[in-house]
Order: sequence, then C-alpha cells, then structure tokens
Amino acid sequence: MQNRFGFKDLILTVLLVLLIAVVLLGMKQLDRQWSALQTLQDQGKEQTRLLASISRTLDDMSSNGIAVSRGPTTQSAQSGVAPGHDPYFADLKEAEAKPDFARGDYLIDNLQTKIGGTLTPYITRDLYGIWVLEKIFDFLLTQDPNTFDYIPALARSFQVSSDGLAFTFQLRRGVRFSDGEPMTADDVVFSYELMMNPKIKAPGIRSYFEKFKGVEKTGDYEVVFHLKEPYYNTLNVFSNLYIIPKHFYSKYGEEEINQNPGLVMGTGPYKLRDPTSWRPGQKIELVRNEMYWGEAPAFDKIIFNEVMEEAAQETMFRNGELDVYRCPVPTYARLIKDPSISSRSTGYAIESFLNGYYFIAWNQKQGGKSSIFTDKRVRTALTMMTDRDGICQQVYQGYAKPVHGPFWNGSPQEAPGLKPLPYDPQAARKLLAEVGFEDRDGSGVLKNEDGTPLRFRLLYGTGSEFTQRIVLFIKDNFAKAGVIMEPDPQQWSVLQQRADHRDFEALFMGWGGGDVEADPYQEFDSSQIADAGDNFCSYSNPKLDQLIREARISLDKDRRMKMWQECDRILAEDQPYTFLLSRDETRFIDNRIHNVHRTKAELNLVDTWPNPIPWYVPKPMQKYTQP
Amino acid sequence: MLSYLIRRILLMIPTLLGVSIVTFAIVALSPGGLGGSLLGPNSQLRPEERKAIMAYYTARYGIGQPVYVQYLRWLGRVSPLGPKAAGEGWPGSWKIGFKIPDLGESWQVHRPISDLLSESLPITLLLEFTSLPVIYLISIVTGIQAARSRGKVVDVGLGTFLIGLYSMPEIWIGVLMIGFLTNKEYLHWFPSNGLHDITSDAMPFMPSFGPHGFERGWLLDTAWHLVLPLICLSYGSFAYLSRLTRGSLLETLGLDFVRTARAKGLMEKTVIYAHAFRNSLLPLITVTASFLPGILAGAVIIETIFGLPGMGQLFASAAINTDRELLLALTLIFAVLLMISFLLADIAYAIADPRVSYVD
Amino acid sequence: MSIEAAQVMSESEAPLAVTVRARRSIGRQAVIDTLARPGARLGLAWLGILAFFAVFGPFIANTHPILMKSEGHWSSPMLRSLTPVDVLLLAATGVAIVLWIGRWFSSGIGLLIVIATPIVLAPAAYLLVQPPANVDYSLYRTMISEGKVERVAFTIIPYSPSDRLRDRTDARLSPPNAAHWFGTDNDGADVFSNILHASRVALSIGFMATGISVALGLLIGGTMGYYGGAFDLLSMRTIEIVEALPRLVLLITISALARHRNIYLMMAIIGLTGFTSYARFVRAEFLSLRQRDFVQAAIAAGYPQYRIIFRQMLPNALTPVLVSTTFGVASAILYEATLSFLGLGLVDEPSWGALLEQARAGGNGFIWWIALFPGLAIFLTVFSYNLIGEAARDALDPKLRKRD
Repeated sequence: MQNRFGFKDLILTVLLVLLIAVVLLGMKQLDRQWSALQTLQDQGKEQTRLLASISRTLDDMSSNGIAVSRGPTTQSAQSGVAPGHDPYFADLKEAEAKPDFARGDYLIDNLQTKIGGTLTPYITRDLYGIWVLEKIFDFLLTQDPNTFDYIPALARSFQVSSDGLAFTFQLRRGVRFSDGEPMTADDVVFSYELMMNPKIKAPGIRSYFEKFKGVEKTGDYEVVFHLKEPYYNTLNVFSNLYIIPKHFYSKYGEEEINQNPGLVMGTGPYKLRDPTSWRPGQKIELVRNEMYWGEAPAFDKIIFNEVMEEAAQETMFRNGELDVYRCPVPTYARLIKDPSISSRSTGYAIESFLNGYYFIAWNQKQGGKSSIFTDKRVRTALTMMTDRDGICQQVYQGYAKPVHGPFWNGSPQEAPGLKPLPYDPQAARKLLAEVGFEDRDGSGVLKNEDGTPLRFRLLYGTGSEFTQRIVLFIKDNFAKAGVIMEPDPQQWSVLQQRADHRDFEALFMGWGGGDVEADPYQEFDSSQIADAGDNFCSYSNPKLDQLIREARISLDKDRRMKMWQECDRILAEDQPYTFLLSRDETRFIDNRIHNVHRTKAELNLVDTWPNPIPWYVPKPMQKYTQP
Repeated sequence: MLSYLIRRILLMIPTLLGVSIVTFAIVALSPGGLGGSLLGPNSQLRPEERKAIMAYYTARYGIGQPVYVQYLRWLGRVSPLGPKAAGEGWPGSWKIGFKIPDLGESWQVHRPISDLLSESLPITLLLEFTSLPVIYLISIVTGIQAARSRGKVVDVGLGTFLIGLYSMPEIWIGVLMIGFLTNKEYLHWFPSNGLHDITSDAMPFMPSFGPHGFERGWLLDTAWHLVLPLICLSYGSFAYLSRLTRGSLLETLGLDFVRTARAKGLMEKTVIYAHAFRNSLLPLITVTASFLPGILAGAVIIETIFGLPGMGQLFASAAINTDRELLLALTLIFAVLLMISFLLADIAYAIADPRVSYVD
Repeated sequence: MSIEAAQVMSESEAPLAVTVRARRSIGRQAVIDTLARPGARLGLAWLGILAFFAVFGPFIANTHPILMKSEGHWSSPMLRSLTPVDVLLLAATGVAIVLWIGRWFSSGIGLLIVIATPIVLAPAAYLLVQPPANVDYSLYRTMISEGKVERVAFTIIPYSPSDRLRDRTDARLSPPNAAHWFGTDNDGADVFSNILHASRVALSIGFMATGISVALGLLIGGTMGYYGGAFDLLSMRTIEIVEALPRLVLLITISALARHRNIYLMMAIIGLTGFTSYARFVRAEFLSLRQRDFVQAAIAAGYPQYRIIFRQMLPNALTPVLVSTTFGVASAILYEATLSFLGLGLVDEPSWGALLEQARAGGNGFIWWIALFPGLAIFLTVFSYNLIGEAARDALDPKLRKRD
C-alpha cells in the first residue's frame, strides 16, 4: 500500500496551519497590548515629572504679566506687554470670560494628505505640516486676524530702527520648552543660524531671509536682527522663524536633522507626546504642553487625521468623527442644503487673501520672438471675452469671486474707484478689429490679413478637476467670440519646466496667498524675466518697475499704499495677466465648538498663523475625555 | 541544474541593465526634469520659495549634470557590486566591492526609498498572497466542473461567464463597487478606502464582545477593508486558471490509466478527484510563479482606486509625477521579481515533471 | 474532394459531372469556423453596432441640425461640420458596402481595397473638407428661442459630445431623463453622445495599436526565427527587456511626460510595448517550420527568400498570431481606457475612460449614470473581442478539433 497523501492528511495539514496562524495572531495581540501598557506607563512617569515642575512654572508665570520687584534686571516699562493686558491672548481671555467656557475635549481635524515627509521644523515645507507646527511652536510675533497689527508673541516687545535695518526684540521671560528648559536669546540665535545653514534642507524658508545680514544677541533676553537693505514686509518674515531649543537640536548633526522626520520640540501650547519618535504614517496627536508659558487653550488634544479620499472624509464628518471638515465646493454646495449636516454644524464660505488667485499669463516673448500677446489691446480683449462671473457661478457655484489685480478684494493696495473690465465680447471684438483680427470670411473665426486665425494653446496643470472645467469654460467663451483656444494639459513637473523656459503661449496657473500686503515684484518686475524668474510673460513696464522698487523699501505705510494703488492702475491698464478669480475656502465646523467667528483673515483660528486658539467646547457638550 | 541556475541568473543582469537604461532614458529625455515632482501639485508656492527649493534640490540630486553621468552615478549606487565608501560592505577597506544597494531618495517626499518600500511592500504582499488561495480555489472548482460537464450548458455557460468576468475592466468594477457597496446612499457594507479604520489604533486585536456589542478588532477590521480590493484583484484571473484546469484535467482524463480506473468500476467522482486531478495539477503549479507579477501590475490600479498605501499606489504616483528615483527603483524591483518568478516557474516545472531536465 | 482525385476518377470512369470545389484557403476556413460559434456571433454583433456608431456618429448625435431653414435659406449645418475623418470613414464604408453587394472581389482583396480607400482619398479629403474651426454650440438653441428658425430637423440625439450646454446651466449632472437618455456629465455634456462618439477612438486605438504590435512582432519574430544566431540572441534580450518593463507604468510615465497629448502617441506606445508575444509566437513557429520538409525543399530548390517566407512560412505562423490579435485589441482598448481614467487621455475628446474618471472624482457624490454606462461600453467591447478570440482559438486549435 503506498503512502498516499489522502484527504485526511489534507485536513490535518490545514488544521495545523490554522493552529499556527492562531498562535501567531495571539502573540501579536499580546504584543500590542504590551505596547499599549508601555505607553500608559510612560505617560504615568511623565505626569509625575510634570507635577514636580508645575510649581516652578507657577513661579515663573507670575513674573510675566505682573510687575514684581525682584531686582533691576526684571522687566521695565517698554512698549509691548502692559501688565494685565496681553494682546496675544486677548481673544482667548475674552472666550474665558464667557459663562459656558470650559477646558477639555479634543479637536479633531484632518490634513487632506498623508504627511509623507517630515515634521521637523524648517525642513518641512508641506503646507499641512505647517498647520501642525503652528500649534507646537511659537514665533517672535504674530498678526491680529482683524486689524493685521503685529502682536508680540514670544517677544514681549520690539522696536524697528528708523532706517528699517535693525529689528530689536525683547523676549518674554519664563518661557519654557516642552521639556521644561527655559528659552533665552541663545535659542533665538540658534534658530536663525540653523535655518541659514546651507547644509540644512530649508531652501524655501531661507529665501525669505535673503535680505538679512545676521542676528546679534544683546542680552540674555534680547536680540537684534540686522538687514542688508530695508524691506517693507520684514516683520512678516519673522513668522517663518520657528524658535527652537538649542539644547535639543544641537545634539543632532545636520544630516540627521534633514533626515529625521520627527524632531519636534517647541514652546507652543501643544506638543507631540514624544519629541523624537514621530514617523510618517503615525497618527499626529498633539497633547497639551503642561510647560506652556501662556494662557492654556481649551482643548486637551488636537488630533490630525490624514484622510485623503473625499468620500471617506465626508463619511467621517457625518459620523461625527471629524470636527473641521474642509470640503471642495461641490460638496459644500450639496451639504449646505442637507438638514442632517446643517443641524449639527455650521458652514463657512470664507473669502480671504490667504486663498490666492488664479490667472492666465499671456506670454509676450516665446522662443525669443514677440507673440501676438505683445499688443496690450489683444490682452485686454481676451480679458473682456472671459466671463469671470460665469466661472464663479457655474464652476464654483458662487463660491469664488472675480479678481482684477494681484491685490485681494478689499485690500488697501487696490486703487480706489478702479472699474474692472466688464465681460463684453462685442467690445472685445471691436478692440481686436483695431489690431487686425476680424471675421473676414463669415467662418466665425477671427483672422488677420494673412488669414491666420487667432489661435493659441493654453497650458495648464493636470490633477484638478476644477482646472479642467475652468479651461473648458474659457474655451467655450472664446469659441463664442471667435478665438480658438486649445487646451494643453501638462503634468506639473513639465509645466514648471516650460514656464521657466517661457515655452508656452498662454499659461493658466495660480499664486498662493499669504501676505496681507502683497509684493508684486516677483511676478511683474522686469528684472524677473531673466534667469527663469517668475515674470513668465516677459512683461516689462519701467514705470511699474520704479514704483514697485520704491514701495518695497519705503517704511511709510501711507506713501507705500499710494504707490501700490498706482501699480494696481498700471496693471489694470496693461493686463499682463488676465486675473481670474479667488475661490472661497469652504468648510464645516461642528456646532459643539463655540466661539468660532469670521475675521478678515479667515476664521478666528487661522491654520497658518500661530495665534492662540480661542475656541472651546462647553462642558455639557464635550465628547472626548482624557483616558 | 546548478549551471543552468547560474546561467539564468547571469542572463538576468543584461536584462536588468536594459530595463534601467530604458526607464532612465525615458525620464531623462523628457522635458520635465525635476520641476513639480519636487513641489507637488498642491503647492502654490511663493515665487522666491520655489526658486530656492528648485535650486537646492537640483544641486543635491545632481540634475545639472549630463544624462549619462547621472545614470552612471545612479548605477553605482544601486548596484550591489560597485563603488562604495571604505568601511562599507565587503571587502571592508576597498573602494569597490559588494554593498547593500542604496536606492536613493524619493523626489516627491524626500524620504529614503527603502523606507517607503518597507512601508508599502507588506500591504501589497498581503493583498497578493491572500488573493492567490482565493483565485486557485475558485478556478479549480469551476475548472473541474467545466471538465466534468464538458460541452454541456454548464461548461459553455461557465466558460462564457468567466470570459465575461475577465473582460470587466478593473476601473469600472472598482468604481461601481465603491459607489454601490460602500456608499451610505446605497449599501454601506464595506469601507470605501484605506487599510484601517480611523479608530483602529484603539481597537483590540481580536474581535470581541464589548460593552457596545460586537467589536470588530484590528484583525477583522483589516480583513474587512481588504475584501473589496481582493475581489477586484482576483476576479480577472479566474478565467485563465479555470481554463487551464479544465484543459489539463481533460487531457489527463484521456490517458490510459484513467480508462483503467473507470474499467475497474470506480465511481466517476473518485476517478476525477482521487486519480486524475492530482496528476493534472502540474500546469497549475508551474503557472503560480508567473502569476505574481501580473497581480502586482493589477494592484497599481486597485490600490489607487481603493486608497491602499501599497507598492502599486507608490508606482502609480511615481509614474504620474515622474519621480525619477522612485520610478527607477520600483521598475528595477518589478523586473527582478518578474525574472525570479519566471526562474522559479521553470525550476518548479523541472522538479515537478521528471521528463523535463535542465541538466546539460 | 481534391482536384487530383477528381481528375483520376474522371479518367478512370465514365465521364461524370463532377463538381470540383476549390479547397478553401486556411484563412477563410478559420473565419467560417469561428463565426459558427454563437459567442463570436454575439461579439461581432456588438462590434458591428460600435462600428456603425463610429462611422455614422455625426448623423446620430450632433448639435448641428441635419437641415435648417433660417431667414429663408436652407442649410445643412451637420454636413458642413463633418471633419475629414468623418468623410473618409463614410467613403470606406460606402466602398465596403458596394463591394459586398457586388461580390466582385475575394474577401482578402476586398478588405485591402476598403482599407486603401481612405488612405488614397486622404489628401483630397483634408484639402476639401473644411469644417468650421470654432463652434458655438448654443447658437442653434439661441436662434430657435429667438424665433429666427423657420424649420429645423435635428439628429436623434441633438447634442454633440463637446456641447457643454452653456445656455442651460441647470442641465449639468442631471440623471437620465427624456432629454438626456444617459444623463449629463460634470461639464454638462450629454453622456450618450459621448459614449457614442468615443467608440471611434476606442476602435481605432484598438486596431492601430494592435496593428503596430503585430507588424513589429512579425518582423522581429520572423527575422529571429529565420536567421537565428546573434540576431536571435540580441533580440531575445530586447524582448525580455520590453517584457520586464511594467507596461501600464510605462504608458503612464510617457503619457504624463508627453508635450502634446495626441491619439497617435498613445497608439504608438501601446503598440510598441505589446509586440513581444507576437514575436515569440512567430519565432517559435518559424524555428519549427524551418526544419519542415516543404521548407527545406523550397530552400533546396532555390526559391527566393521572400517567397519562402511569405508564401510558405508566414501563413502557417499566422494562426496563433491571429488568435492573439483579438485579445491584443481588447487589452489595447483597456489600456486606453485606463490611461484616460487616470487623467492622461485627450482633453475635450470623448473617451469612455475619461467619463469613468468623473464618476470617481469625489465631491459630487457617486454619479451612477456616469459610472455605469461608459464602463458598460468598455465591458461590452472587450467582452466581444474576447469572445471572438476564444471562438477563434477553439476553432483553430488542432487538438480540440480532433476531439470534436
């Protein structure tokens, strides 16, 4: 009888395999439970340490806002923080005064991408990474979201020299990093020098400081920054200088700082539980920083999910698993009518300078030769053929506004009384007829004397359904008026290359916002045409150049505004771009979160600004508690 | 046999080189260069930032150099035998020797590619290895059925149905499944996206009955997330394997020993399952190894649709964003896997079929 | 009964009226066997429908009316808007119908004539046929509402695929209804019209890409099999390299990088990367055929090489190639759909894959009519090709034929 592999043997083998599988899985479960236990133990240890140092914190905090006679080196009367009124915490204090104010609960947010890179400050240039870091780090100053005044944050006060070349900051005392070590001027100097170190992978941020000469420590709690030349917006630049602890980061070499994705320790109101161990793919959970030098915000934790898929985000929000839902416009338009959503959350469609604007750039010089777009009348006509309101209504369902220049709608930089070009295809055709483009043969296409039709390709980036819809909308606009526009989609890396080489006819793109007072130098100054600068369309107007350059170094705000307004007029006249629109930022916020209101910037919590969080959840509505 | 193996492995090298050259050429000769793969489509950066970042990475990744120089540098890094730092690899003190290949850094996320791979490979492998038993089970069952009722309605019907399944585009089925089976408006039977639920970290590992009723547990939750992608990945392969089973079984059934078995008076069921089937397994076994690369290719679309962070999605994003380093690394790995699987298939064939021998 | 046998018989016996049928060529027999199977018939039926749509699309779904009387003039905007490609396809179809009715040529030569017609007429067509370069689709509807039109006859589906209904903005994303049988898409265009016109792209990419693959495969495989030696070794490595490249990823990469998206590029890449299996078949067949007696005899007799290759070896090698061709066309169509699905296809040209992408891109929720119908079209087309391929394989497989 042969030793055959019979059916019984098969069953036994399968059972054996299953048994092994169960044992392995059981081991894995134990392992997870073990690591959970470990985390709890670590937490316990941390709590004990913190309890011991809270008394220290209390002592130090008292020296901040109240005059204490301890010695001649303590605070004296300088501009900045008046005892009892700290503008940095004004919003939060106002919230605290409300009867239902309570601390506790978590804020669940969503970054719409997976942070594939790093959270280490300066190294990360991921927009979403910045949202996270704004809660963990503080800066020397910040801006009020309504008045746009500069408010000292980590600085107690600051002075600007009259020639705009020296910025002096007096630092607060008693500020501690999340491990308890105090912040001093050494840390500020270290932060600056780390960033300026060319070996550190922070080229983007470094570029903002190109006008800086260096920093000087003039006291344990005072630093002076020296500039090479004055620039009107220098104070804004300081919002990029994360103040990081010297004692922590100096332990690591440059390459390690570049590579390690999780070196995060700051002075902010929140922190990562472990300042060294975060890796991409791990949950981003910010816990309260017990060492925080200032007024503690309401939320115990801020949790950032990393869900990319739209459908999944919507499901999360419906299930109440998401507090701040940033949705695309069509979703917003749909959900705002949905009673199950509008009963438990509030929708915000926010028009803000932070949202940037879209435009079409008309290339005036391609391959060394002048193009049809060199003539201002052609550009003006094309603008008049574009139904910008139509795009806002039909593509964005009303959640976008047309723009007519590089300055945001309502900005003091806008020229008062300047009428935007209307949507008038008839007038556009008349203008083109002056240039020589007419419908000579009844074909519906505008042609010049040689019979060449007015035809061009519009280069745009793939990946966004909105972009394609806008391009097709504009194509139909132009078709109606007799101009042939061919969509030329290109993937981003190629598009950037072509833009840099001026290898396009017309380009559809957008600039991100961010500055309260925008600087049009990079895009419109003629010096930026060469060297793959950002003046893609080879636009040059000497009068504009002169105005921009003068305004940039002018420290007199009123005088500057007049110059910006003149720039606005010139750009409206010249139409180097067809400025299209600025879309609204649409989001829903769960109603249990109180004290949310609009500001001129965005909401009173701006993702990219490090202001203290003035939101809270009243006690009866709190959903999440500390474990 | 050994000489055959060595010969095959040596022959892999020119093919791998060829693959890398072709891929490098396509990406390098393209107009894109670095550009947006560094910056990503979502970044509307400020102009000065963009310039600085571009300049930095152009220098760092050596993009300004001529194409062949870049290729040779890459080759030197990636090859396990090549220039290395003293102290690395074997022999320790030499400048040339064996070393661990350095796949480089992804241009999109600026992280070492080996890290990205170690995160994504397990997911794809999980998908592949769980789909194999499913495919085989269903194919064998249907194949046997088709062979048994040869020519009749069941055979023809099954055959046509399987061809139909094979013809269904993955993109269509994936979208339909997500739309109808994961949607609150229709049937919300499955999760639509990702590998884990949001709350999965807090879940216990095994399913249990907690205070809120049945709790899925991490294991079951992952399995639940994998059901739809698994179905989408496997349904296309049933047709081929089923037909193979059917054909092989039919061939075996025509052999003498089967006639003997039938003449002995054995039941048809015994004849098929106890005798014929085992002998017809040969082609199925040998085809296994060549299946894996096919599934990996299919995973590219499936992972993109279902949002699974596996190698397929990595591949797709590398291709769309022209992330050169990542693309080269993945193409190379794919080619290596392909050729190893062919080799394994040939070896399996040699072992399984005594008539085939590679001894010269 | 063979001619020789009949001759012998007629010589040996009393003169009988012997009907002698010329032996059918392999190709014709294969086609008949294939078409005898019901699967192939179904497949051919659907492909016939698609071909009809591809050729007569402008007559079925078009915003331009067939006939219009406005301000006293009669005009046919539809005819005026025909593109050179439309005209050439119509010409080819016309020639095909005429040949079929008249049965003037054998199917092989007839096919060649039909294919040659558009090529020959192409220069004339491109010179003479000038559709308007710019179309304002809402023109007719506006004219009707303004009362400028006295009589008008539209096509059954009065929407072109690029007609985004700018004058009826609320029609966007509407579910199937009386006006739009398959609903409208994200831009406002009619889905049925898009699916119909996209058949042309799908079919042409399928044929041309596979044509390139087969031609290349025959060329390389044939040369490898016939000459062997160093060329064989080198080509084998090349084939292995091409096979080791992940095809989909390669397609995505090249499409993403291409400067201008055009249909020919897609065809070329799909074609150039798909030749390996045909090359292998032809090589294997040639290698074995070369040893066969009749080829050896032909070589010994001193026949010129091209005659040996084309008349002796190629027809025998073609069988497995032809069977795979149908599968190749099916996979080419799938690749095109996948590329469009990923957003790498043509812009403002109808495509099944591009429609499917709209169903997936979230925000609007799940739009079932955009998910179901275009995908169904792809499925039916691929299914048809696969059915035909399976039927051909069953018909031509010698092993199975013996069994039957």
